Amino acid sequence: MIEAIQFSSFAEFLNMGGYGFNVWSVYSVFFVFVVVNLLAPLRRRKQIMKELKRRNILNENAQDSGQASDQASNSLGENQ
Amino acid sequence: MNWTWFHKLGSPKSFYAITSRWLPWLIAAMGAFLVVGVLWALLFIPPDYQQGYTTRILVVHVAVAGTSLAFFPIMAVAGTITLVWRMKLADMVAKNAAPLGAWFSFVTLATGSLWGSVMWGTWWEWTDARLVSMLFQFFLLLSVVALRSAIEDNDKAARACALLSIVGCINVVIIKYSVEWWNVLHQPNSPVGMSNSGANGPEFWLPTLVMIVAVYLFLAVSLILATRNEILQRERKAQWVQDLVASS
Repeated sequence: MIEAIQFSSFAEFLNMGGYGFNVWSVYSVFFVFVVVNLLAPLRRRKQIMKELKRRNILNENAQDSGQASDQASNSLGENQ
Repeated sequence: MNWTWFHKLGSPKSFYAITSRWLPWLIAAMGAFLVVGVLWALLFIPPDYQQGYTTRILVVHVAVAGTSLAFFPIMAVAGTITLVWRMKLADMVAKNAAPLGAWFSFVTLATGSLWGSVMWGTWWEWTDARLVSMLFQFFLLLSVVALRSAIEDNDKAARACALLSIVGCINVVIIKYSVEWWNVLHQPNSPVGMSNSGANGPEFWLPTLVMIVAVYLFLAVSLILATRNEILQRERKAQWVQDLVASS
């Protein structure tokens, strides 16, 4: 398996037979594409959980004081 | 026929529960295929006598491009379910598929350009039906996203997007057969076989196959994660979501 590796030095690996810019650009774009589309929904989830938690606390407080509080936190839009 | 499974998967609550169990496995499989595919491509694919090491670009390009064609069919099936059965979950999937599909189309165009700039000597060719129809898919997906945010009423937006998604499937057929119907710069699909040689040999298409599986798994994971977020928001008043939030 090791002898099947196509390069004998790291510089040769980076050079990609003269197509280094194109090959590494493609793999960089691919890397960003994958990471962004996995991390974005995970970060969004954290945000939603935090927001819903805050809303629950507000609701509990509102029940104690007899106010409706769904408008109290409107940063979590219906459609977003 | 027993349809309980259909209704069960269609309920946001059971979708959430089922995907909670699937996600760790899907993520593990995705990670494994991605690592194997990328390392195989970057370390082991031999230089082609004409294309040199640029065939390594095609491993990514072919996988992302092929997978990008799945978006309109996914959105059309989800849209049909929305129109016929008014299933909430189907629309949540469709809504989150559109922006992800735009990403896929963009990466297809970018990686294709980076290959074409050295192998064709041009970044872009307006007379090539394959290139132009893929650009059209990118704009079509962006317009589905725009349509969704332009209509305030949720149900109306869902129905409009469903219709556009069904019509948009025509373009997928055009992309697919553009290389056969017209005489274009873009090459047709390469044949797959163990005895092929040169740039069609297994040393090229085997890592491509691994990457295609990896990219499909990535599509599934990303779309499921986004759909689960959508469920939490739309079902936030349901008791099970409140319990989930409380226990988190």
